[in-house]
Amino acid sequence: MYQVTDGTVAPKLAPTKVAILGAGRGGTALLDLLHLIPSIEIVGISDRDPGAPGLARAKNLRIPVIGRIEDLVYNDGIHLIMDVTGDPEVERFIQLRKRPETEMLSGSAARVLWELVRHEANLQAELFHAEKLAGIGSFAAGIAHDINNPLQLIMGLAENLAEEKDLDAVHEQAREIVEAVRRTSAISRDLTQYARKTSARDETIVPLNNRFDEALKIARYAVSFHDISVRKQYDDGAVARGNPDEVLHMLVNMITNAVQAMKQDGGILTLTTEHCSDGAMLRICDTGCGMPAAVLDKIFDPFFTTKETGKGTGLGLYNVKTIVAKMRGNIRVESHVDRGTTFTIAFPPATEDQP
Amino acid sequence: MGEFTSGFFMGNSATNGRVLVVDDEADVRKVVRMTLQKAGYDVLEAENGEKAIETINAGENRLLLDVLICDIRMPKINGVEAIAYFRANYPRVPVIVLTGFPDADMATSMLRQGVVDYLVKPVEGEKLRESVARAMEQRELAHL
Repeated sequence: MYQVTDGTVAPKLAPTKVAILGAGRGGTALLDLLHLIPSIEIVGISDRDPGAPGLARAKNLRIPVIGRIEDLVYNDGIHLIMDVTGDPEVERFIQLRKRPETEMLSGSAARVLWELVRHEANLQAELFHAEKLAGIGSFAAGIAHDINNPLQLIMGLAENLAEEKDLDAVHEQAREIVEAVRRTSAISRDLTQYARKTSARDETIVPLNNRFDEALKIARYAVSFHDISVRKQYDDGAVARGNPDEVLHMLVNMITNAVQAMKQDGGILTLTTEHCSDGAMLRICDTGCGMPAAVLDKIFDPFFTTKETGKGTGLGLYNVKTIVAKMRGNIRVESHVDRGTTFTIAFPPATEDQP
Repeated sequence: MGEFTSGFFMGNSATNGRVLVVDDEADVRKVVRMTLQKAGYDVLEAENGEKAIETINAGENRLLLDVLICDIRMPKINGVEAIAYFRANYPRVPVIVLTGFPDADMATSMLRQGVVDYLVKPVEGEKLRESVARAMEQRELAHL
């Protein structure tokens, strides 16, 4: 059995300790990026305005919010103070009062940095979207199947109604037509919701069972579930904090992979959720072809794919890893060649939005 | 596997012929049945390729089947595999593909395998009946 825990390498050196001053747009963007980097530890964030958006975000990320800027500046052991307040008074204060070993970044340097960070966040959002849209290309067969079958029913019934003499049969068939139209319109509703671009800040409490069910609906367009039996082992109340659209995107990717791994002989797809005081967990288990160690080592790398040219972007699991990291979770995979693969994702306890 | 003779030649005069509809969607089977029964055909149904093969090999059906209408995307044995089986074992039964997913490569490959028509859902009743009637003619010509 081979096992891999995401793709990131734990830092060998002690992390760089960073303090962020200013929790407006700049501070929030820095938080969002820096907390993903294992070699950086954010020791705290502070802002003179207790309502600054970055402070709520920091609480959700379990990053200490320091009431007074002074307390953060005096703190020893900080390697770098990042001042994104844009306030010359704050800048002067840090210069005067910071410990001599602490470096500082402020003014236009800090501004350039957060512009870069924002640019990076936009690129990442574009990447998610591009990969999702590339995947939707493979939905054509599934969508055609699911639209044209009810259309065949509607066509057949409507042709029959033109000649039907039995009034009860007319009523019954009219009802069937309405039902078939509803089913068909649900397809475009599901898909347009899925295809929309997600906004990076839409974080909320995400019910995992619901996301699994929605992802199953979408994945059925991407891959054929023929000869696949789906087992759900759901724990009511399994939730995680994150962006619901991103969680859906991630689960569609993983379910699609699992089903593709079983396309040869069919198999069992088991979707599990659990929760406890330490957080929540979800698991996607297939009984498919599995992966050898050489493949498993690379699955989270960008542009790595085992699919035929033109069939996979190689960005699916890379994006899954990024989304999991944004949610401060961790992902683990176990695989046995010819027996199957299990992905397990653990999330920290989900907290409500701080006012 | 023995070749079987046509219902037409067996003097099966009660119907215009016997058609087996293979589709995983009960709704599709239902309306195809409705459409063809109006034109005097006897219609059998199977929900996948495996059931279709069982049906054709069961009892008297193998003696009486005139036309096969088959979907492509189905569980168990899919349409491509089922059609290959039918072409190999019952080459005189004309096959009509009725699919929800128009695919030019698939159509070409199917027509090469001797499929007589490739119809895309939703197909109008008239067109379906014409296609089955043409298939019946081919079936009869094959016996001359």
